[in-house]
Amino acid sequence: MQIWLGFAMLALVFWGITGVTQKLSTNSISSERSFLWFCWAMVALSACVMIVARPQWGLGKVVVISAIVGGALNGLGAWTSFRALESGGKASIVISLISLYPLLTVGLAVLLLHERLNWHQTAGAIAAIVAAILLSLEAPPKAEA
Amino acid sequence: MNAENQSRKRPAWLLWSLATIVLWGAWGLVSKVASNGVDVYANQLLYTVGLAPLMIFVAWTVHKRTPGEKTEGRGRGIFWAFLTGILGGLGNLAFFQALVKGGEASIVSPVTALFPMVTVLLAVLFLKERLGRTQWAGLALAFVAIYLLSA
Repeated sequence: MQIWLGFAMLALVFWGITGVTQKLSTNSISSERSFLWFCWAMVALSACVMIVARPQWGLGKVVVISAIVGGALNGLGAWTSFRALESGGKASIVISLISLYPLLTVGLAVLLLHERLNWHQTAGAIAAIVAAILLSLEAPPKAEA
Repeated sequence: MNAENQSRKRPAWLLWSLATIVLWGAWGLVSKVASNGVDVYANQLLYTVGLAPLMIFVAWTVHKRTPGEKTEGRGRGIFWAFLTGILGGLGNLAFFQALVKGGEASIVSPVTALFPMVTVLLAVLFLKERLGRTQWAGLALAFVAIYLLSA
C-alpha cells in the first residue's frame, strides 16, 4: 500500500468518527455553538502542535497564503453546510449534494495542477462520489411492531 | 402560507449547498498547493489562522443568541463538539500528510470524502441506527472505490 493512501485512510477514519461526535453534540447544543467549540478544539490542537512538533518556518508567500486560505475555505464550507440544513434543506438531499465536492477538486486539480488520472483512478473517483451520495441517503424509518 | 415559505426557502438551501461544494472543492486544491512547501504541522497552524475570522463571527452570533438558548445538556454538547474538533484536526493532519507524501489532490480528495462510511458503521454499532439498502450499496461501492483509486 502506498504511504499516502495510509494517511488518506487515517483521515477518513478520524473524519468518520466526527460524523458521530458531531451528531451527539448537536443533540444537546445548537450547530453554531457546536461549530464554535469545534474551532476552540482546533486552536487547542494547533497550540499543542506548536509546542510539541516544532513546525518548519521560513515558508514561501504562496504556501502561507494557500494554507491560510485553506482553513478559511474549509471553515466557511462547514458553516455554509449548516446554513443549508437550517434553511429548510432535507438532510439527505443537502448532504448528498454536498458530497459532490470532490468532483470540483478533481476538475480543478486536472485543470490547474495538471494531474492525470488513469482509467482505474477515474472509475474510482466516480465510484467514490456515488458511494458518498448513497451513504448520505437517509435509511427508511423503523417499521412499527 | 407554509407552502409559500417552503418554496421561498428552497433556493436558499440550494445556494448554501452549492457554496459548500465550491468552498470544500477549492479547499482540496489549495491544500495540495500548500503541501508542496510546508510540513503538516505548519499547515495545521496556518489552517487555524484562516479559521479565526469565521470563529470570531460565529462567537458573536452565538453570544447574540445566548438568552434564548436552553442550558440543559450544554456541557455534554460542548464536550462532544470539542472532541469533534480534536478528531477533525487529527484528520486534517493525516489529510495534509497524504498530500505531502505524494498523494494527488484528484485522488486523495475522493478517498477522504468517503468518511461517511465510517460514520455509518459507527452509527450502526453505537447509536443503534439502521441502514437502508442504498447505504449498504454505498458501503460496498466505497470499498470498490478505494481499491480502484489505490490501483
